[in-house]
Amino acid sequence: MGIFLVNAQALQAETTTGRRPLAGQSMSGAEVIVQVLADEGVGVLFGYSGGAILPVYDAVFRHNAEHPRADGNEAMRLVVPANEQGAGFMAAGYARASGRVGVAIVTSGPGATNMVTPVRDSMADSVPLVVICGQVGTAAIGSDAFQEAPVSNIMGACAKHVFLVTDATQLEATVRTAFTLARSGRPGPVVVDVPKDVQNAALPWHGSGELLLAGYRARLRAVEQSVLGDADCGAFFAALMRAERPLIYAGGGVIAAEASAALRAFVDEFGLPVTTTLMGLGSFDSTAPLALHLLGMHGTAYANYAVEDCDFVLALGARFDDRVAGVPDKFAPRAKFIAQLDIDPSEIGKVKPADWHHVGPLRRALERLTAYGRAHGMRPKLGAWHAHVAELKRVHAMNYDRASTLIQPYAVIEAINRHAQGNAIVSTGVGQHQMWAAQYFDFRAPRRWLTSGSMGTMGFGLPAAIGAQFAHPGKLVIDIDGDASIRMNIGELETVTTYGLPLKVVVLNNVGDGMVRQWQKLYFKGRFASSDKSLHRKDFVRAAQADGFAWAQRLERHDALEATIAAFLAFDGPAFLEVMIDPDAGVYPMVGPGASYAQMITGDFIASRAAPAAREPSTSNMF
Amino acid sequence: MQHTLSILLQNEAGALVRVAGLFAARGYNIDTLTVAATHDPAVSRLTLSLQCDDAALGQILQQTRKLVDVLQVAHPAPALAA
Repeated sequence: MGIFLVNAQALQAETTTGRRPLAGQSMSGAEVIVQVLADEGVGVLFGYSGGAILPVYDAVFRHNAEHPRADGNEAMRLVVPANEQGAGFMAAGYARASGRVGVAIVTSGPGATNMVTPVRDSMADSVPLVVICGQVGTAAIGSDAFQEAPVSNIMGACAKHVFLVTDATQLEATVRTAFTLARSGRPGPVVVDVPKDVQNAALPWHGSGELLLAGYRARLRAVEQSVLGDADCGAFFAALMRAERPLIYAGGGVIAAEASAALRAFVDEFGLPVTTTLMGLGSFDSTAPLALHLLGMHGTAYANYAVEDCDFVLALGARFDDRVAGVPDKFAPRAKFIAQLDIDPSEIGKVKPADWHHVGPLRRALERLTAYGRAHGMRPKLGAWHAHVAELKRVHAMNYDRASTLIQPYAVIEAINRHAQGNAIVSTGVGQHQMWAAQYFDFRAPRRWLTSGSMGTMGFGLPAAIGAQFAHPGKLVIDIDGDASIRMNIGELETVTTYGLPLKVVVLNNVGDGMVRQWQKLYFKGRFASSDKSLHRKDFVRAAQADGFAWAQRLERHDALEATIAAFLAFDGPAFLEVMIDPDAGVYPMVGPGASYAQMITGDFIASRAAPAAREPSTSNMF
Repeated sequence: MQHTLSILLQNEAGALVRVAGLFAARGYNIDTLTVAATHDPAVSRLTLSLQCDDAALGQILQQTRKLVDVLQVAHPAPALAA
């Protein structure tokens, strides 16, 4: 070998200065992949081995043997899930929690197809991933070989981009380019499909160079260099100063753009209240006086009423999706002016026409608007609007049945929140528990809320929490899961204990698919087709114990809630808590499919200001 | 309304599939499609026609420009005929 005979300190020093310490040396394709990962600063990989990716796994093993670290950890830690889907969501959780590119490595065929769901999920939520898939040898492609799948076709339809590397000399530039693609512009997952013979090819190491991608780079440059001119700023503030009830609608783009501080500065200066999407939670401190928390189908009543009442909308990295603007014409019906900032030109006016827009990096645009408004003495007079918003928050506050002797899921989240205080990283599955967590947790900073927003993938919570714990080993990471969601990737419970992660796993057990039941109650006359799990026999606590959880308990009495949560969160190590919740607890408020915010159902415990919505017929085609 | 688009595309594995797949996934029916070589062997020219209204056309153009292999999209098509 003699290829990697550089000690760790020397390599670090050289990579930070020149990045070409190994230039000219010969490497295998697999070693080239690992060296690019090392240059990109990748410290943890998530993946599952198999025949067509063995050379890369071997190269990782040798890389770690040859680059020992003083702290005893491996230079490039390899985290092995129960299923490749788990690896994909771990990488996504890592990326969401850290802002860095998450990396997953899987084999061909089933390894790659098991990765489809996390790749599509990451595309839909704009999460940067690089996924390296082994592929059968180039000569065998198209022959229905063992463990062959048409990965570039399959992933091409759901990733930001996919490369099939058939020319080994392009491998180094391709893997490096994958990172650039994943994190630039609107972030997303990039798949690199590498035939086994390409992994074994002898290649010269260059140490730099990327693919040309002239079209992508030209468009990216145009977006990144676009600047908000004085005329644009002037037009924006002219409309804002005419408005009496302006509102910011902040989405996940604020977090992806690392623009939270810029948003805070803008709000401090001009006083616009802020409501956030599910993906935007954490982009603005939800405990701030001007924060309205979540809007949309299960948004807070006060946020949704504020949307109804506002006369000006500033959409920041948000895309008016159907969970927010189910009926676009009726969304913010009194808004005379909609301003939209986004990095993706295709989102401008896609759902709702914008009266003013700018395509470019969000942080810079916000900073520019703040500076312009400050320099020109723009001071919107919003006293009456602020009073109105405060009154909405007071009158239509979130609430639930606090007298019930059944454990209310909202009370569980509130109890955990009292300990976490907005500082924990929280992941979720998908369904009622996800919405309760979104509604009842405080979100004080970005990248502490990991949820499958657009795809709505059940089973996301546990592996995403594992990935986040690797990104932040010292932080409190809590998976708020449902009994149905956690089943989807329950094999990853063992991954938690294998790696000794101090994760806290909460299962809010309502014995079934709670959100499906809620819709069946509302729209299918209570026919619970397939959503009732009362005949299922799983003992979650024993399952967790079998997977090595030293702390695993079931909470069944509401008067034991506070003490149990305190003990659970205080446990030094992996802990699992199943909570038997009121199976009839619903998610309120709810803007039904096809309904406007004015028709929002607020339930029995949140004040509504309108007559209850007429129930949609069960034949509604909205979803 | 009938629209004709001309797309310059890098000749990468699966590039044609990605363009066709984008139209299919977003529910646009391609009426005609021709693929031709250009003077640069690394670049192909796709000419395709479809029926859609102006709002849909705007989305198609923007979404097509998000494909990494796409060098240029022109509508109407003759703009790239040089």
